[in-house]
Amino acid sequence: MIDWLQQFFHRVTSVFRREQMDHELDAELSAHLDLAIEENLQRGLTPEEARRQALIHLGGKQQAIEQHRDARGLPGLEIFFQDLRYAVRALFKNPGFTIAVVVTLALGIAVNGTMFSMVSAFLLRRPVVHEPDRVAVISSINPARGFLPDTNPVSAPNYFAWREANDLFSDFSAADENRSVNLTAQGKPEALPSAAVSSNYFNVVGVAAYLGRTFSEREDQPGRDHVVILSHELWERRFGSDPSVIGSTIRLNRENYVVIGVMPASFRLLGFIPQLWTPLTLTTADRAISARKDRALYVFARLKPDVSVEQARLEISNLAHRSEQDFPETEKGWGAAVRTLPDFLVYNFGIRNGLAVMMTAVGFVLIMACANVAGLLLARATGRQKELGIRIALGAGRLRIIRQLLTEGLLNALLGAAVALVLAWWGINFIGTKMTFNEAISAVPITLDRNVLLFTLAVSLFSAVLCSLAPALRASRTDINTILKAESRAASAGRSHSRLRTILVTGEIALALFLLVGTGLLIRGLYVIEHQNLGFQPDHLLTAAVTLDSARYKDAAQQASFVRDITSRLQHIPGASAVAVASDLPATGPNTVTVQIKGEPDLPANQALSTRDVIVSPDYFSAAEIPVLRGRTFTDMDNATASPVVVVNQQFVHRLLHDQEPLGKQIRLSVSGPAPKWCEIVGVVANVKNYSEAPDEDPAVFEPFLQRPIPSFSVMVRARTDPNSLSSDLRSAIEQADSDLPLDRVMSMTSVIDLQKGGDVLFVRMLGIFAFLALLFAAIGIYGLIAYSVGQRTHEIGIRVALGAGSSQVLRMVLLEGLKMTAIGAALGLALALPLPKVFAAMFTGIVFVEPAVYFIVPLAIIAVSMLATYIPARRAASVDPTIALRNS
Amino acid sequence: MTTSKLDLLQGTLDLMVLQTLTTMGSLHGYGIARRIEQVSGDKVVLNQGTIYASLVRLQQRGWISGEWGVSSNNRKAKFYSITKKGRKQLSEDAVNWQRLASVMSRVLGMQEEGGDQ
Repeated sequence: MIDWLQQFFHRVTSVFRREQMDHELDAELSAHLDLAIEENLQRGLTPEEARRQALIHLGGKQQAIEQHRDARGLPGLEIFFQDLRYAVRALFKNPGFTIAVVVTLALGIAVNGTMFSMVSAFLLRRPVVHEPDRVAVISSINPARGFLPDTNPVSAPNYFAWREANDLFSDFSAADENRSVNLTAQGKPEALPSAAVSSNYFNVVGVAAYLGRTFSEREDQPGRDHVVILSHELWERRFGSDPSVIGSTIRLNRENYVVIGVMPASFRLLGFIPQLWTPLTLTTADRAISARKDRALYVFARLKPDVSVEQARLEISNLAHRSEQDFPETEKGWGAAVRTLPDFLVYNFGIRNGLAVMMTAVGFVLIMACANVAGLLLARATGRQKELGIRIALGAGRLRIIRQLLTEGLLNALLGAAVALVLAWWGINFIGTKMTFNEAISAVPITLDRNVLLFTLAVSLFSAVLCSLAPALRASRTDINTILKAESRAASAGRSHSRLRTILVTGEIALALFLLVGTGLLIRGLYVIEHQNLGFQPDHLLTAAVTLDSARYKDAAQQASFVRDITSRLQHIPGASAVAVASDLPATGPNTVTVQIKGEPDLPANQALSTRDVIVSPDYFSAAEIPVLRGRTFTDMDNATASPVVVVNQQFVHRLLHDQEPLGKQIRLSVSGPAPKWCEIVGVVANVKNYSEAPDEDPAVFEPFLQRPIPSFSVMVRARTDPNSLSSDLRSAIEQADSDLPLDRVMSMTSVIDLQKGGDVLFVRMLGIFAFLALLFAAIGIYGLIAYSVGQRTHEIGIRVALGAGSSQVLRMVLLEGLKMTAIGAALGLALALPLPKVFAAMFTGIVFVEPAVYFIVPLAIIAVSMLATYIPARRAASVDPTIALRNS
Repeated sequence: MTTSKLDLLQGTLDLMVLQTLTTMGSLHGYGIARRIEQVSGDKVVLNQGTIYASLVRLQQRGWISGEWGVSSNNRKAKFYSITKKGRKQLSEDAVNWQRLASVMSRVLGMQEEGGDQ
């Protein structure tokens, strides 16, 4: 083994010490010859004869050198270096060609690297915890179909029931990931996203504290639960990375909490953004039937060593089925889903489809770049046929020629990759600054990490093979007899090169059309949404988020009185015309709940009626400027003691009441809290979009805040002037009502919507760039091919002109050649693109993709662009002077 | 048949070189080649490519070492000598070869008898 290593080492080093070793060998060989001659002289031969005999006996010197090199070195490596040297020479000999190839490849590789940084950041980065694949996340499946209905949280009674019944998990914990707490430090209240978790949560997930400790066993009991763990980021930002914060007391929701730990910076679960963790205290009240509708917990459980996720899935869905049978009133239709932690996080984040579309698009762009480069290489192969023919005649084997051309392709691709990395670095930074439209997205750093580097390298190797294999195989089939004999204008080989290039360019046109149609559909679909009427007036509306803590606002009555207090204070702000609070701002995706209509037969679970549910204060409709169509809206008289009332939208009347008279009808919503009552419909308002970035309008029910107060809501102030000018008034009004209460997300409604749409805008803009690149590549491809073919046919065109063809005839002939290719490519692309609306509709719910105009405009645009690209070389062909063309050859 | 030269089996030349250096001590490439040719009764003809490829291979394995020196008739040449490792290798390989040679001759002898019947 050692011997072998030693010899290998010598062999490798001798490749690099080639000159010195050759020199030494040369000296040895001359000594050898001299000694042989001398011996022959001693045997009595004449000097000439002595020399002749010695030379015959010793054999060829060049062969000896070759044999020596093969014995001492690594022939494969030497050939590679030889090819590489040759390739570098070829690159420098033709810098224009090299730049065209490298830039084309760099663009193709760079867009792939850039896009892949998102894949790496969102899909490949696994949570930094112990064996994440052994952690199962259990969620509920909501029978009211909304966005990702199978990632709904679980109710506390189900959590208890499932924890006690199963034996597949070694540890079981629950987390309420979407709380908001009020941290008061140095007199400044701040609302922070937080999570309440079982005391064993961190053990189950498999992560230890960075400083201090995580929760201990009894700390989720009431009375012992005033302990808190900080995120690394919060510890840095608010506590100056001070390690002595462990053991100190901080004010959370007006109560004292002892800081017991700080989590590592790497502990981040995609989509969850808690800045601090407190114990989740569950009491006997949380086991009651009334708690079944309150679904707020994600269940994290660690699988026992031999248990598979499939087993757990089966077990949990059986348990969910049992709950459904035992408590049909609340559980009807609800199921349970089990996923591993990494799976759940990625799925719940809902970014997969968007990324899949992007990666497909950039994949196509890369293929087109490779097709262009292959076209360029094929064109050059014709020019190099003589050179290759000579090499083959001198004894280069077919494999050797392929190897050399692949080495050249590899060098091109690696140069392209180097340029691409610079471009990708820039692109990734750009995306990083744009991917900030919500907290969960901004929490994920997008960087040029190892995965991206490896991917970029793999893509470049792949494109090296892709773009040089066809030319290499073709070149190796070179028939030296015809090449070396033939005149320079021999056209037969050139024709078959052109045929391959024609196929490549036709394919490019098809791909470009496919991409453009896809992008066109998406842009058009999103444009419609961008310019849709939301159903309310987002201008001149200032908003903010408030979360009331349970220390001061213990019950519904206190929450209601706070809202009454602040609405009256805010109404006194000069410049404010209407003030309201609501569980959700308009067009920001309110909850979906199931609903019953009095007098209608009970429907089976999978057909249960569902509706959006918004809780609003009386002036909500005037503040949002949502038109009231029938009946009335709420007043301050619709309070806890009055009979329950609701307002519904037109869609509710149309879809759920089938356009019957709505006023006076009784409905019952399946919502959390005390047993839901029958409520009377007292008014009908116009539809509002569910989301600003989607066109659908679901049935919606509005409940009066005073009859169903909630601790977490948004404030809306309709302003007569610029809404942002009122923000300081808003802040001080809230401060007067409660100086310890933080206001969160103070911003205009238009900013809320802009942030919400941020993803779509970026998505469309990037897709647009890719589609433009695709079109550009297709144009360059067709231009290159036609220009080349015109160049090759100068002689033929010269003859045609000499025989009387007019320049317009020549022009038409060349244009027709381009048009034929474009038409075939476009037809292919159209056929490919026909099913796109269906595919997109399945991927992006809520966007309408029926846009026949795109199918006309895009092919026309492609034909126009390719005609333009053909026209330039066609002009040149038309102006061929027959005397020059014929004399040249 | 007698006029034809022997084709060298892979590895046999290396063994011949080692043996030559063991008996002759330090020797240059030409000397080694001539010695092997003479001993073989000119049945083996070594061109320079073969001999120097073998010498560089043996050097890389560390079985022989080479040093520039001056020959008896005042000529600069590289002199090779066998190393300790080379001697060890030679004794192992020689045993193997002798064993193989005796087996081969026995096997070939058996075939001849069969042919007579």
